[in-house]
Amino acid sequence: MMLSWAKKRWSYFAVAAFIVFLALIPFKWFLGQYTSIMIFIGISTMITVGLCLLMGYTGQVSLGQAAFYGLGAYFSAILSKTYGVNPWLAMLIAAIATGAFAYIIGYPIFRLRGNYLAMATLGIGLIMWVLFNQLRQYTGGPDGISGIPYLSIGGFAFDTPFKRFYLVWFFCLAILFLSQNIVRSRTGRALRAIHGNEAAAESLGINVTQFKVKIFVLSSVYASLAGSLFAHHLRHVSPQPFDFLGSVKLVVMAVIGGLASIWGAIFGAGTTRFLSDEILLGFDQYPQLDIIIYGLILMLVMIFMPEGLFVAIRTGTMWLKVNWRNLPSIMKTKREEFPGRIKNFFERLHLTRLWRKSEP
Amino acid sequence: MTTDQFVQYLMSGLTQGSIYALIGLGFTIIYAVTQIINFAQGEFVMLGGMLSYVLAVEKGLPMPLALIIAILVAAAVGAAMYLLAIRTARRASVISLIIITIGAAIFIRGIAGNRFGVDTVSPPPFTGGGSIKFLGAYIEPQALWIIGITFVVTILLYLFLSHTMVGKALRACAVNPGAASLVGINTKAMALIAFIIAGAIGGIGGIVVAPLAMASYGMGVMLGLKGFVAASIGGFMSPITTVIGGVVLGIVENLAVGLNWGPFTSAYKDVIALVVLLLILLIRSGKLAAAERAG
Amino acid sequence: MSQPILETKNLSKAFGGLIAVDKVDLTIDTGKITAIIGPNGAGKTTLFNLIAGVYQQTAGEILFNGKSLKHSLWYARAIKPGLNKKIFKDKLQRHASAHMRASLGIARTFQHVHLFGNMTVLENIMTGQHTRSKYGFFAAALRLPKSRREEETITLNAMKYLNMVGLGRYAQQNALSLPLGQQKLLAIARALATEPKLILLDEPGAGLNALEKRELSDLMKRIREMGVTVVLVEHDMPLVMGIAEWIIVLDSGQKIAEGTAAQVQKDRKVIAAYLGEEME
Repeated sequence: MMLSWAKKRWSYFAVAAFIVFLALIPFKWFLGQYTSIMIFIGISTMITVGLCLLMGYTGQVSLGQAAFYGLGAYFSAILSKTYGVNPWLAMLIAAIATGAFAYIIGYPIFRLRGNYLAMATLGIGLIMWVLFNQLRQYTGGPDGISGIPYLSIGGFAFDTPFKRFYLVWFFCLAILFLSQNIVRSRTGRALRAIHGNEAAAESLGINVTQFKVKIFVLSSVYASLAGSLFAHHLRHVSPQPFDFLGSVKLVVMAVIGGLASIWGAIFGAGTTRFLSDEILLGFDQYPQLDIIIYGLILMLVMIFMPEGLFVAIRTGTMWLKVNWRNLPSIMKTKREEFPGRIKNFFERLHLTRLWRKSEP
Repeated sequence: MTTDQFVQYLMSGLTQGSIYALIGLGFTIIYAVTQIINFAQGEFVMLGGMLSYVLAVEKGLPMPLALIIAILVAAAVGAAMYLLAIRTARRASVISLIIITIGAAIFIRGIAGNRFGVDTVSPPPFTGGGSIKFLGAYIEPQALWIIGITFVVTILLYLFLSHTMVGKALRACAVNPGAASLVGINTKAMALIAFIIAGAIGGIGGIVVAPLAMASYGMGVMLGLKGFVAASIGGFMSPITTVIGGVVLGIVENLAVGLNWGPFTSAYKDVIALVVLLLILLIRSGKLAAAERAG
Repeated sequence: MSQPILETKNLSKAFGGLIAVDKVDLTIDTGKITAIIGPNGAGKTTLFNLIAGVYQQTAGEILFNGKSLKHSLWYARAIKPGLNKKIFKDKLQRHASAHMRASLGIARTFQHVHLFGNMTVLENIMTGQHTRSKYGFFAAALRLPKSRREEETITLNAMKYLNMVGLGRYAQQNALSLPLGQQKLLAIARALATEPKLILLDEPGAGLNALEKRELSDLMKRIREMGVTVVLVEHDMPLVMGIAEWIIVLDSGQKIAEGTAAQVQKDRKVIAAYLGEEME
């Protein structure tokens, strides 16, 4: 009986175990050398969750999410360094300002569909990046702003990576839990309804456009908070991480993490960061390998696993649990079918005939 | 601004606009036939430009051969992209297709950066000689090539679409894919043809612009965006409107910088295209809102 | 006689050159089961979409409980009253959009069911309770007591509607795992969860077998007993004649007849519309 109670609650145990694991990471005797990369993973996860919610529940792409990330970073940097505002207050102001900006551009944007929406987000992202570079007197141009103060509570300053690890992951986990609560609530149902069938959602009294804008604003606030934490971590902001490639990397994280998945965001951000900051650094002699791999990931995942890699893995393991006994025979059948399927693929292109003769 | 200066800006606007027009034609033809926005269109241009340099200068092939091979490779990449990335993603949603084309774009860019290096290169112009004086402005011979070739390509494309069977089949797909397939047109093959044409035109754009504006592995991003803006202005409808859109964008960009309107220093030049893009999208959004109200 | 729950006056809808609904006047009496029938292409679904707010009419008006479904924009009051009425009147008014009409009490189902395939059966119905609950973003994110209380109410209400259509035991299954007949019942339960005064059923009988159609008739009677007015578009004549207290016949966008089942069955114009010629 204890076992079945435990089985039902296994997700709680998993989360608790994960948090304990996380809490131990910065210690030298455990995984201390990964503290810095884990801070970046935490920051990226915050943005990725917002993007996953946006892309997963409204079915819209944001190709400019790095702009909100950058807005948060720059607002925090400028307010706390240049104007001496309390960093916490600066972070709050940044979040509010970014959210307001997203709200204003949200309504006109979400009237557009698909391609045009993507282009609009791309355009805004690029404009923000150009502004970061050009508004020298505020942003310091391409060199950026340095000497940003640490965040601190009373006399306790977050001045070491060890301390900042806990700060960042506190925010990150808070956002993950908040997002999960939202998804399981009435608001989450409305969002899932919109994802499921917009016309039906409208007929039930859900204002679809308003919800899309709300999620857009939420994702921008998450990104802004992440940006502020980023600024107070590196103590230096420059336009470089907030360009188009930055936005693409965020999309890669979201795609790997699963478009409507919340905890998958950690997986997405984690694997992408590890890829870019650890593994790929060893391949210096193979330039541009990082973007080759990002491009490949985006294509392969979206072609074969549109729900995202994490979700596909989850579905895959569930399928495996059910079917593991039949595995050898299934593999044999697939291997036999394979040449036929390739042939079928090319035949269906009808490459040899541009027109079909009309059937009687 | 003196008249000479004005004409100078007009001519450079026309030149750049022709490039945007060529790229825009690629966007238009793919979108019209398949309703897909090909985010990798700029990369076809990049391939044309980079290959023309690599083949002619590094490998020492005769110029005309290098140019032709560059165009063919760009067209082949277009075909490969369609067959491998888009056809395999059966019934993919719009958001999936967008991400797939973006993935293809950065994949192609990465391979190019890997193979060709990150340096900016400059293939030799088609014909030698110095600037020609024309109506009070100095114009490079290559610029005349650009304008001329754009003109020729547009005319050929127009004739192809209106007078050949395949062209008419393509237009049928653009108007109503369902009906087109019902009358026996193979819409999948038409999509493939659209991608090949877009690749080829992109390649042509690359080989004509590279001698003038230089080429690098990253040139596709901004050029692709501006080509998209050109196609947007033209409404993705026909080659003629797309070309008009491109020329308008090119002239507006250059005049704005030349007239020093407001904050438009040359650093902000690229922003103009983005602002135009957002304006178009805003107008479109407003029209959609009004249409929703009317029901 | 109480006020009719729905009236349309001179209602017209044109799509470009095609006139789908042509100057239709109709009255739906509160508490009765009304059916709208007519040959294919008569404009029935378009009419539904007009009432539900999916389309905006090109002419005419719709009155729900005597009140027009138009409202003024929020900034209209800032403009002086006299000016407001004369010059800007049309521009400052908007038709109530589809989601607003759900809050006002108009619910609908769809011909193609349109269930939320990414949710369970129960969650589909709980979504229907959206307009009858209030807690928002912050209460949800922080799991405030208000949110938990409302969730309980929502769940209880949803179970009530689920049991009303007899699908209680499927509560936790994915909505699309049900066969079509039960999916249609689920869609009706979901629409009922919005606690409407008027429910529009678009071809509820399509794809159902005889037994399911009888259950559907019973369900419609129970809905009427709850005080909800039922309007249905339907092609199945025995079903319609058996359940409808009032029948409105459309053809080519116009109303050609209305009356009780007996009256409509004998009407010459109705017979001609269905058979294409006068019957002697």
